[in-house]
Amino acid sequence: MNSILMRRKWEPYLWLLPSMLLMTIFIVFPIFIVFKLSFSEISKAGVVGSFVGLANFKAAVTDDVFGTVMLNTLLWVVSVVGISTLLGFIVAMMMNSKFHGRKIARSIVVFPWATSLVIQASIWNYIIKFEYGNLNNILLNLGIIQDAVNWRISYHIEFMWECGVGIFVTVPFVAFCVLAGLQSIDGAYYEAATVDGAGAWKKLTHVTLPLVRPALMVSTVLNIIYVFNSFPIIYTITKGAPANKTDTMVTYLYMLAFYDQEKGPATALSVIGFILLCAVAGLYMMISIKKDER
Amino acid sequence: MKKILALVLTVLLTVSCIGFAAAEDDITLDVIICQYGNNTNNWFTGTGIDGSNFVELFEAANPGIKLNLEVVSWNDVYTVVSTRISNGNAPDILNIDTFADYATEGLLLPVTDYCSEELYSDFFPSFIAQSVIDGVVWAVPDLASARAMYYNKDMFEEVGIEVPTTWAELEDACQAIVDYYGGDVYPWGIDMTTDEGQAAFSYYVWNNDGGFVDADGNWALNSDANVEAINFAIGLYNQGYTNPNPATQTRYDLQDMFGAGKMAMVITTNQLPTYLTEKGYSVNYGTAALPHNEGAAGGATGVMDRVMAFKDDSYPDQAARNAAIGKFLDFFYSPEMYTGWVSMEGFLPAVSSAVSYLVEADPSFGAWLDVLDSCQFYPTAKSEWVDVKQGVIEVEQNALLGGDVKTLLDGLQEKVTK
Repeated sequence: MNSILMRRKWEPYLWLLPSMLLMTIFIVFPIFIVFKLSFSEISKAGVVGSFVGLANFKAAVTDDVFGTVMLNTLLWVVSVVGISTLLGFIVAMMMNSKFHGRKIARSIVVFPWATSLVIQASIWNYIIKFEYGNLNNILLNLGIIQDAVNWRISYHIEFMWECGVGIFVTVPFVAFCVLAGLQSIDGAYYEAATVDGAGAWKKLTHVTLPLVRPALMVSTVLNIIYVFNSFPIIYTITKGAPANKTDTMVTYLYMLAFYDQEKGPATALSVIGFILLCAVAGLYMMISIKKDER
Repeated sequence: MKKILALVLTVLLTVSCIGFAAAEDDITLDVIICQYGNNTNNWFTGTGIDGSNFVELFEAANPGIKLNLEVVSWNDVYTVVSTRISNGNAPDILNIDTFADYATEGLLLPVTDYCSEELYSDFFPSFIAQSVIDGVVWAVPDLASARAMYYNKDMFEEVGIEVPTTWAELEDACQAIVDYYGGDVYPWGIDMTTDEGQAAFSYYVWNNDGGFVDADGNWALNSDANVEAINFAIGLYNQGYTNPNPATQTRYDLQDMFGAGKMAMVITTNQLPTYLTEKGYSVNYGTAALPHNEGAAGGATGVMDRVMAFKDDSYPDQAARNAAIGKFLDFFYSPEMYTGWVSMEGFLPAVSSAVSYLVEADPSFGAWLDVLDSCQFYPTAKSEWVDVKQGVIEVEQNALLGGDVKTLLDGLQEKVTK
């Protein structure tokens, strides 16, 4: 009897052990190393030296471009997550309604998300090329424009394109999260609302939105983390150029580490990014726990 | 049955032990080679040398030395090397462009420790001189490339202009091309990207009697000649003579535009003919020296990569390790290997013994070798080079956005020399 009780007590930990081990080796240990490096002097050749306190953090945040990079990161995350959440919700509503070819439509919608980000970014890079881009070719052939348009005329426009690609690849993820939420709503709620005389708008705001809120919450928090950490789109299209004007924190710290060979400040920046994302994840967990308590 | 199985297993175990015992005497060299082109990997580890590869041929010719050779793309090589150094796992032999940081950190072996005298004397002395710090040679050149101006002969004939030799002539030619073709052709190509913006810097400053360093070898980034030169380059962009996005359009974008007849002139490497052929372009082009400012001596840009050996104090027999590294170099630079490799990649050789072989196979090589003689190289032996390289690119990109060149270069000079 005792042995059965003991087994029941330890069995869950036994099953968890492999994943805990993997997480320790591939997540916890590298995080520890990065924290350690952020307080160490690192030479351009990569040799790790002595403890330097907060010198790397100071060097990172006092750099001239730090403000630009942080502002870009904020714009990038807010615009990509915000707009893709709105569009994803609309797409999910459309995919939840009944129409011919719904299955095909759902398959098509998932493509941008399922394709590698590097491939997506490279394709968009070709689409908006001035000299022989597909967009100019199509518009010229249709007679909509008479001369090729430079779709990358300034870095502001280039950054908008990058945000656009970010939105394009993020919408499907939101759409499918929301769609899962929509499909779990019992039709009886809508029937009751109809009996109470609610119109389409009221059904949306009083039935649909409250019931898909958990799904939206999950997709938003995950998107904030994914989008903040997203590297391939910006690196493929502009590499942060000109002069870091289109860099976000992740692309900037990569360039800092591996182009400028400033690995100390780069690791300090990654620690700052990690702390910011921990705050977002913590906020999400607090909200989830409060909701469970209710 | 069980007895037979046990016997077989015992035999296998014994054989494998013998195998390990033999393998223990072998020296294994970790080698990192940069990927220069589509064929690099195949040549070193595939079937690129008449159905065999460099590693197989080397190991067959040098019993007791194994190669753990990895071909790494230029985009990743700095990441790979610095991560390995941080983890205490530097390669034995590394092919890359920079070396000063590794040398000043005390990570490299002096070349004389492993390179045979015969091979050492075969390198062009002017190339070897680029890898010296405090009188010690820390790396050997593996190849070089020279830059020249390529122009579209048909366009020049159609517009009725001569090949420009000075900046004033260049501006006149650009204006004539704009007048003739309107916006359909970019007269001049500029690459100020993080890929090769430092090369653009050199094309203009070296052709205005400026440079990265002064006559004493001290940084002189904000010299009047440099300010004038970069202002001239930015002026070409501002006047609409260049490709529209020099901060994001790389050399390869420019080469594609040139090949497709969208660009009239471009400064690029001696590999352009190979690139155009591989991409199927059939542009009628000519080559010329880089245009220079009136009264300034012209200067060609040479780019050189290197091979270096890292220290490994944990190795029990240092003399044997050094000898193995030396054998690697001897084999790599042997005419049959080296000329094949240089020709395949479309580069220029770094050893004199290869010249006659290459000129015999392709007489056009001769002209490029003459250019190499007059080339100036980046000051890569100075430990601040990485900062300068990234710094001049930032200056160029900020200048493209309207920044004042003098102020930007003053800032860079201060940062580098503080």
